[in-house]
Amino acid sequence: MEMATKLAGLSFKNPVLTASGTFGYGREAAELYDLATLGGVMVKGVSREPWSGNPPTRIARAPGGMLNAIGLQNPGLDHFLAVDLPFLRAYDTKVVVNVVGHDEEGFLAVVRGVDGQAGVAAIELNISCPNVADGLLFSQDPARAAQLVARVRLETSLPLIVKISPNVTDPVALGAACAEAGADALSAINTLLGMAIDVERRRPVIANRTGGLSGPAVKPVGLRIVYDLARSLAIPVIGMGGIESGRDALEYLMAGARAVAVGTAVFRDPLAPPRIIGELERELEAAGFASVAEAWAAANPQAKERVS
Amino acid sequence: MVERLQPAPDCVELVMEFPDDEAPKPGQFYMLSTGDGRDTYLPRPLSFYRTFSPRRMSFLFRVVGPGTQALAALKPRDRLQAMGPLGRGFPVPDQPIRAVLVGGGVGVPPLWSLGRALLERGAKVTALIGARTRSGLLGQAELQALGLEVRTATDDGTRGHRGPVTELLPGLDADQVFACGPEPMLRAVQAFAASRPLPDTYLALEAAMACGYGVCLGCAVERAKPDPELGPYGTYARVCREGPVFRWDEVKF
Repeated sequence: MEMATKLAGLSFKNPVLTASGTFGYGREAAELYDLATLGGVMVKGVSREPWSGNPPTRIARAPGGMLNAIGLQNPGLDHFLAVDLPFLRAYDTKVVVNVVGHDEEGFLAVVRGVDGQAGVAAIELNISCPNVADGLLFSQDPARAAQLVARVRLETSLPLIVKISPNVTDPVALGAACAEAGADALSAINTLLGMAIDVERRRPVIANRTGGLSGPAVKPVGLRIVYDLARSLAIPVIGMGGIESGRDALEYLMAGARAVAVGTAVFRDPLAPPRIIGELERELEAAGFASVAEAWAAANPQAKERVS
Repeated sequence: MVERLQPAPDCVELVMEFPDDEAPKPGQFYMLSTGDGRDTYLPRPLSFYRTFSPRRMSFLFRVVGPGTQALAALKPRDRLQAMGPLGRGFPVPDQPIRAVLVGGGVGVPPLWSLGRALLERGAKVTALIGARTRSGLLGQAELQALGLEVRTATDDGTRGHRGPVTELLPGLDADQVFACGPEPMLRAVQAFAASRPLPDTYLALEAAMACGYGVCLGCAVERAKPDPELGPYGTYARVCREGPVFRWDEVKF
């Protein structure tokens, strides 16, 4: 089975990546399996300065998934470059650096910091975290998102991926604005804004009040948005949201994703990414596809027409 | 799962047989998954309780929600997924110390294996266990069976001392205190450790947790003395990785 996939000028040995914020910087998973198994690693969001994250309680249970409001706790750019990137560089896998910021200058500083660093394959701009005060600032107005992307574009020649929020009326309009401004690819979806209530304590379970819903419950939303993005836009999409199995990954590829990312599934099953790679290979074969490329957009004829 | 016991009306002890014999340290925990993952998507972190053989141990918990309900509904010979042992357990001193263990409600489990390890090293061990009412007192017979002296306290006075279990602490000579239970109880143990002072007092914490192995950052607890090198990133520690056992003065809650 030909598992390799290409997008935004990048070649991945297989289409399965780990999603940002569910994998740290790879250290914990590396105790369990060889990270070179993975198509790529999308690291936990990196900000210019270290961020503390939100006070506890940070997570809540939800049917078919979970809510989180971690708040992008991360050690900051300098620590990432000095400690985390060198660790990941040792593995033969593509490292995508997820970049976060409170404002444009914050994003730009991290982009400048990682540009040109050995071992960085691409940048993923996280303009869709619902758990920090200004996390959705750039998602809620396509013009603002475009302005940020355009400024980042001037700072780096690395492939630029923008992570799309499902918490907007029109994700395609947002994606189109990012593409127009110079994004090379989109990743979709981030978590859906939600809430859980603690009946005994008479307050929301999560200290931040709201959190992002992820897990199998959000898969239909992710598939719909990936399908719409792939149908409407020329730039490739990395699909994510509720992927638990090779079958789920195949559904995303057929909807129009060039690659997929596994997120919340690793909490329940730390070995989910390598397991899903194996399952996907068998699912592709069972569905009659000779390659990942052949499965791409097989359920999305308008997306296929666009490239033919 | 090989056996299901019911030590209290709303509590269940499950005896499980593991395929391997990786011996856990007192205070370590496992992530237990059961059900189809719909109502109980996230695994449930639980400290192990009693060990019967290298491959056989039990878990004691209160049935509170869908996750613990699914665990409690298991029947002998049902299989479930357990990941562990995880986290940093209690440091067990080699010297024959005078140790006091404090357990509140379902906080008793990690104290059983700790008590046994301390006794093996010649320690004199007293266990204080507390609950709201008599039927909620867990582990008294099991701890006594190890050879520990056990004293009890209940909020309503239906057995033992009437009031918080930590009110029994000042009457005891202790070199070290080890505690596991609800936050108000742990705060009282912190205050006691500070007043004596008893620097080598350790607390086993509980937290909402998604992964159990350090990647989700869900189980944050505030550090009392953050590492200045880490800046704001050092504000919180992970209960699953840096804990669940912390020295009393390492955390704030």
